[in-house]
Amino acid sequence: MLQLLVVLLFGVAAILGALNRKLGYAGMLVSAVIFGLVQFTPASYLSYFSLISSFVWVFVAIYSFSYGEHYGKWLSSMLPLTIMGMALILISTNYLVLITGWEIMSVPSYVIIALNKKEDMPAAVFMLFSEFSTVFLIAGVAYAYSISGTLNIIALNDYLPMLLISLAGLTKMGMTPFMISEWLPIAHGNAPANASAVLSSTMTLMGVFVIMRLVFLSPLVIYIGIFFLIIGGLSIIFAAIYAYISENMKMLAGFSTIENNASILSAIGLYIIAFSPTLRSFILIVIIIFSLAHSLSKTGLFLAIGNTGGEFFGEITGFSNRWNNVGTFLTTISLSGLFPTIGGLGVWMLLESFFMEAYSGGFTGIMAIIVGSVLALGEGMATGALLKVLSFGNLFHRSNRGRRSIGSFTVMALGGFLVFMLSISILVFPSSFISGIPGVLIFNGFMITSKFGSADFGVLSPDYIILLISVFSILAYAIFRKPRHRTVPVWNGGRDIADIYTSYAYSNNIRLMLRKILRTRIGNQNQSITVMDVFWYAMLRTGKAYKSVCKYITLRFMNSSIGWYMIYMIAAFMITLIISVELI
Amino acid sequence: MKWYKFGKPSGRLIGQVDEFIVHSDSILEVEDSTAVKRVNYHKVPGEFVFAYGPSTGGLMESVGFDLFTPGELINHVDVDPNFKKRTLQVKGKSVQDALLVVERINGFHSVSNSIAFASAVEDALGIEISDEIRHTRILMMELERIRSHLEVVKRVCEPAGFGVPSNQIGYLREEVSRIISRATGHRFFFSSNGVGTVHFNANGIVPALDKIVNEFDHIFRGLLQSKIFLNRLQNNGRAHHPNLLGPAARASGLSVDARMDSGTISYKDIDFNPVLQEEADSFARFMVRSREIFQSAEIIRSLENVGDFKSADISVSGSGEGAARVESPQGDLFYYVNLEDGVVEDLKMVSPSYMNILAFEDSIVGNIFTDFHFNWESFGIWVSEIGVEIR
Repeated sequence: MLQLLVVLLFGVAAILGALNRKLGYAGMLVSAVIFGLVQFTPASYLSYFSLISSFVWVFVAIYSFSYGEHYGKWLSSMLPLTIMGMALILISTNYLVLITGWEIMSVPSYVIIALNKKEDMPAAVFMLFSEFSTVFLIAGVAYAYSISGTLNIIALNDYLPMLLISLAGLTKMGMTPFMISEWLPIAHGNAPANASAVLSSTMTLMGVFVIMRLVFLSPLVIYIGIFFLIIGGLSIIFAAIYAYISENMKMLAGFSTIENNASILSAIGLYIIAFSPTLRSFILIVIIIFSLAHSLSKTGLFLAIGNTGGEFFGEITGFSNRWNNVGTFLTTISLSGLFPTIGGLGVWMLLESFFMEAYSGGFTGIMAIIVGSVLALGEGMATGALLKVLSFGNLFHRSNRGRRSIGSFTVMALGGFLVFMLSISILVFPSSFISGIPGVLIFNGFMITSKFGSADFGVLSPDYIILLISVFSILAYAIFRKPRHRTVPVWNGGRDIADIYTSYAYSNNIRLMLRKILRTRIGNQNQSITVMDVFWYAMLRTGKAYKSVCKYITLRFMNSSIGWYMIYMIAAFMITLIISVELI
Repeated sequence: MKWYKFGKPSGRLIGQVDEFIVHSDSILEVEDSTAVKRVNYHKVPGEFVFAYGPSTGGLMESVGFDLFTPGELINHVDVDPNFKKRTLQVKGKSVQDALLVVERINGFHSVSNSIAFASAVEDALGIEISDEIRHTRILMMELERIRSHLEVVKRVCEPAGFGVPSNQIGYLREEVSRIISRATGHRFFFSSNGVGTVHFNANGIVPALDKIVNEFDHIFRGLLQSKIFLNRLQNNGRAHHPNLLGPAARASGLSVDARMDSGTISYKDIDFNPVLQEEADSFARFMVRSREIFQSAEIIRSLENVGDFKSADISVSGSGEGAARVESPQGDLFYYVNLEDGVVEDLKMVSPSYMNILAFEDSIVGNIFTDFHFNWESFGIWVSEIGVEIR
């Protein structure tokens, strides 16, 4: 009951937001803090998703105080409402509540996207895929009900509900077996930055949450694990490529979201195919750490992009300042999987899991090697994409005269929080994973080891990494003092600088090298190089073909013919009946 | 003028200097001094201009390139050869003094410049040269061609990081310079050529040259075995420009050669056919130059009558206008002089580099940055011949 009341607080915040913008965000902030405190129980694995979500909502609420004053009150009203849907999902113990939360989460998001630019397409795309996910969810719930006889979320003896509900989650995460990319970046990229952060961080996290929830309640079938690994691997590499070549910063972040979610999905797939209890418990920590890193970093990235005052690299108008730059730096290195941020730990642990599974040999070992390699490749490419945001979005070609605002403070605070999370991340590790090698000055308690069979894998504990960096930095400063530097003019072959390097040029090597995949075309009159998202293209072509077939059948057979229409109705009814009986 | 006339365009376009548009058989006077010019290009969205040169690594001469690129791919290039523009005072000087300046315009092609200038003066003053002088000048020009082509082939090897063949060819080029030094007293033929005269000692040249050419043959065959090297040249910088000159033209299948169609220094009694390739790419230009090294050596071997030759200097006086065109290692090199009592009243020079730069600008479109150096070097363009203003 208490949980439901806390969820309703977000509804109150939505009402307040309709009256006063700042009041709405204040309500959202308070609700998020209370929700995190009420929901989180260290012993409960799934409650970590609530904690992660709360962190994101708190930062977004603070940021929103100074962001988007030109947006109407609809934004400060719709944003808490969509969060209310997510909160409902997180507290649900019943499938009906889950479905209700799923829809409450989607509909206000649709409104936010639709009202942002007053364009139909992004909102329609979002709603289309949201409803796809709802269809999968309802189908999974219906089947779960048919085998368990209850709508309560309980253990099941069949894997099919998990598969169907996972498809709902995958769709929300920007992945389905048939559509790897594009819709999520289009939808998330067309929302205001604070809403994009919520959609990209926590809405996709809901996908991970429902999948994990069903994974814990269902028999684990290796084929589903392999299916997740394949979808995850494909999504990682394509999302990373599209992120790298994207000129729209928000869409780039959207592709990065798919890449991160695909990594989490791969971890879930690995969890399913792994037989070792040690490895499984390690992977569970990976999923939480990676989800935390992705959600917080992605929030930081969207907020940093919001501070640029534009969506495309070429239309940045906002001033920058040192706070914002440091925050963006920490955010992007976290998303790049680098220390000393929580993202570094997440990526290391993820790759480590795949290494460990590779040691088990056999088919699953080969799968781990292949997907692990793809993952490493995707991470490298994603690093390139995020460096693009950092360099072209913040460090270069942008005036550094901006005043310190709540927006820049939030980005800075989020960056610091990523480091802080790393420093306390050791708390989520069971003691069996903590050790040390005193002989080489890694004292006991300062090393994470996987203790997997004969081959030990390990890394310095995050605290030790931060300690080493701090000690050596202080030592270097104590010895050498403030570094002396001199500024020299840029040498441009002896000429004045007349032009600047563009973000488009930065990623053009990939457009040219992967021209077969990206369908790169050279020589358009207005744009010298064009690329195509082959998955989006294939989907549009399929949709058009389907429409043509329907039109043909309608005109050729059913055109004003009541007889054919009756035959169609009877056939459709019978097929539905047969499928339903079979399922029951 | 014996070989040229003013009037309608006739023959191949050689280039433009000031108000002269020079063809292989005529000179057209126009008012617009920039009638032969490059295409204007405007940036498209996503492109930026990458400034390369003039003062940077990888370039032998001071030349600036504005590369219009969306990244990696080159959509357009503007070549600016005027960063180190030299103003040379020639007008008002005596022919002998003018010759001292002319042969220093481009040291590497000193003999081509001095012979073209001297021939124009000879044309203006009606001076006939003997076959012996003509053959000696042919020998000198072919020797210069060998050295110039060796230099270009060497430079084509450098972007590939082929240090060994590059240095080996550099050594051979130096050996040719020493042959020239022994034959003329100067490594760059300075003061070896004059109006109606030539100083050259051809004794011992052929055996020394054979040794060089044999060594080059070995290196050349080695380069043709390297797939890495060939991959960088083949299909790189295809140039099908109708106004190409010299080896670049012959590499695109055009039978273009002043040795065939200019009366200035006639090759009519020399067994000689232009070396042609059809591919029109950097590889074809590399092949034409390499094969011409062997061909030039063959021409030198055929000039058995040339020995230690030192014709008497003649006094230059009188008035008139004359024009001459010779095949420099780069292509057609044109000189026009107008003399007044032995003093240069007007002098115009058209270098083949200008037309070849226009062709280079066309050829680079669609290539990527790593192709750039191979393509540029394969044209063998000499910026020093363009970045010069004669007054």
